Amino acid sequence: MLQPEAMGDTPHLLLVDDERSIREPLAQYLTKQGFRVTQSGDAESARTRLAAYAIDLVILDIMMPGEDGLSLCRHIRETSETPVILLTARSEETDRIVGLEMGADDYVVKPFSPRELAARVKVILRRAAGGGMRQHAPDSGSFAFAGWVLKSGERALVDREGVSVPLSTGEYNLLHALVTRPRQVLTRDQLLDLTQGREAAAFDRAIDNQVSRLRKKIEGDPKNPELIKTVWGGGYTLAAEVTRL
Amino acid sequence: MTLMRLKLWPRSLSGQMALLIALALFVAQVVNFALLLNERKRIRIEQATRPAVTRLVDAADGNSAEGPLFGRNGGIDLLPASPIRNDREHRADVEAALRDALADTGVKFGRIETEVRPIAANDPRMKRWRQRGLQRWLRATDEIVIAVQQPGRGWLVLRAPWRRGDLGFVWGLVAQTLILYGIILLPVLWIGRRLSRPLRDLAAAARDFTPGRHDAIEERGPQDVRDVIAAFNALRLRVTGMLDEKDRMLGAIGHDLRTPLAALRVRIESVEDDDDRARMADTIDEMNRTLDDILSLARVGKPSEPITDVDVAALVDAVVEDFRDLDQPVQFDEPVRLRMKLRPTLMRRAVRNLIENALKYGGAAEVRLREDERQVVIEVADRGPGIPADRLADVFDPFTRLEASRNKDTGGIGLGLALTRAITRDAGGEVVLASRPEGGLRATIVLPR
Repeated sequence: MLQPEAMGDTPHLLLVDDERSIREPLAQYLTKQGFRVTQSGDAESARTRLAAYAIDLVILDIMMPGEDGLSLCRHIRETSETPVILLTARSEETDRIVGLEMGADDYVVKPFSPRELAARVKVILRRAAGGGMRQHAPDSGSFAFAGWVLKSGERALVDREGVSVPLSTGEYNLLHALVTRPRQVLTRDQLLDLTQGREAAAFDRAIDNQVSRLRKKIEGDPKNPELIKTVWGGGYTLAAEVTRL
Repeated sequence: MTLMRLKLWPRSLSGQMALLIALALFVAQVVNFALLLNERKRIRIEQATRPAVTRLVDAADGNSAEGPLFGRNGGIDLLPASPIRNDREHRADVEAALRDALADTGVKFGRIETEVRPIAANDPRMKRWRQRGLQRWLRATDEIVIAVQQPGRGWLVLRAPWRRGDLGFVWGLVAQTLILYGIILLPVLWIGRRLSRPLRDLAAAARDFTPGRHDAIEERGPQDVRDVIAAFNALRLRVTGMLDEKDRMLGAIGHDLRTPLAALRVRIESVEDDDDRARMADTIDEMNRTLDDILSLARVGKPSEPITDVDVAALVDAVVEDFRDLDQPVQFDEPVRLRMKLRPTLMRRAVRNLIENALKYGGAAEVRLREDERQVVIEVADRGPGIPADRLADVFDPFTRLEASRNKDTGGIGLGLALTRAITRDAGGEVVLASRPEGGLRATIVLPR
């Protein structure tokens, strides 16, 4: 249902926020960025508009009077595949995780940069148009591989003994990209692309450097890596079974 | 001396009660004991002297050395010289009692001498005593020889059984005291424990008090203790209520301030001038960070993050790496694994704040991680201007920044250290600031293991 629009010239966004002071200038900005934007001040009218239009992506404020964003998010997830980006006023980890468990594809914390939001919208639309498969939000869930558990909410690896090994933002993004694509060969460019757009940090850090740091943390012998393998011709792959927890 | 006293002095309520009662009992027993002992001594002397006086008076009145009172039957000998040797044990108290008693009778006498002699087990007189059933003699271990000089006549000498020191009596008293202790102190200890156990529970509950957990302590023990527990439970509810109120207020402030900030952030996107826009965005980010810090500082006592087993070395390393990713000069030698139990996200923040400060004021940070059996030390040093010794304590106060550093470039309102300290204290540790001898500041997070 969203393909024709997403593939077409102007993707149609539904922007749901009770704060007019945010909603209106944001809609203006997104329109300037080449999106078609429909605004909605509460969950009720958002439901009506979801039914009336072919919406490609919903930008949804969590804190709203009446029915809140989380509940609307759950409703959208139950009835359609439309991607959702949450706007949250709180930066507490638990809030993000709850939102992502509700099926949101991504979130931004207020105050956010409209550019970043637009970039994320584009990433998600491209993903939806390309693979067709909905991707889980990058920050949801945990992944088990080779005795390790990568915990998204805490940005940490947990080893066999239950000891949490915190990761830097760059390391986390890289490992996450690998863990969500086990046994796929990812080139440096792909990895750079996949690790971008999440946080301001660690964009231009050489991927090789991050890989060698990760190897030190998870490989038994970093000199002879068995988990993160270098592939001839320039790329890396995670040679392990990954279970989503 | 003081140390000794402190050591012997029990700290617990039941111990102190028991010790006080034991001391009081002991004093009472000693007084009792002294009185009894004195009385017994008086009786003993009387037992030895009264018959002796009677016999001596009779013998003196008899006026004859050949009377029936003398010799074997009367037990009184008339000797020309005192049989008593001065180097033997004599009883001045008996002598004095005799002198008084004899003076009352009006009998004339000269010197009085006494001597205590042991009775041998094979004493020849044993047979006679046994025949005549003289229990007092048979029981006695000693005899007292009393010699009274009658002027012009010689020495009247008689013997009486003597019971030496009341060892048995002393042991009896000791046993009595011990039994008393048993009877009184055991219940006292029991009652003391009954009293102090709810108090101890109360102390533990007050120590472990974490807002949000409403489970009240059971009211038990004596009424006074119950009242204290009830008051504590009420206090706990009030504190929890106040903290909840604070949280709600902070949530509202956070929301109400972030919304206009977010609106502003969206609006500045329409500013044409790139430099202007970037500066505005920076200002908004800074306001947002400050808001974050205020909210975090207010929430530290009631963290939503659980305590987990964390590799602290990796934690510090991850923070350092985030700075290096932004091309900040942070020096850190990756150490070996170091397991600890703490709240990782909060601790990351504490370390991040210190490194941020070092970068802000010193331009570069040197991070070190040390450990011994008792503690883990995270050290962040810089080569900046440092802090004057008399201002070291001030910088922990929220919203305090040193005058010298108060310029527009450095930013922030000085919540970083306050937050770091709150997080560290929440983890049971402490933050220490010190000037480095080679210049600059060294901030240390000391965490107990």
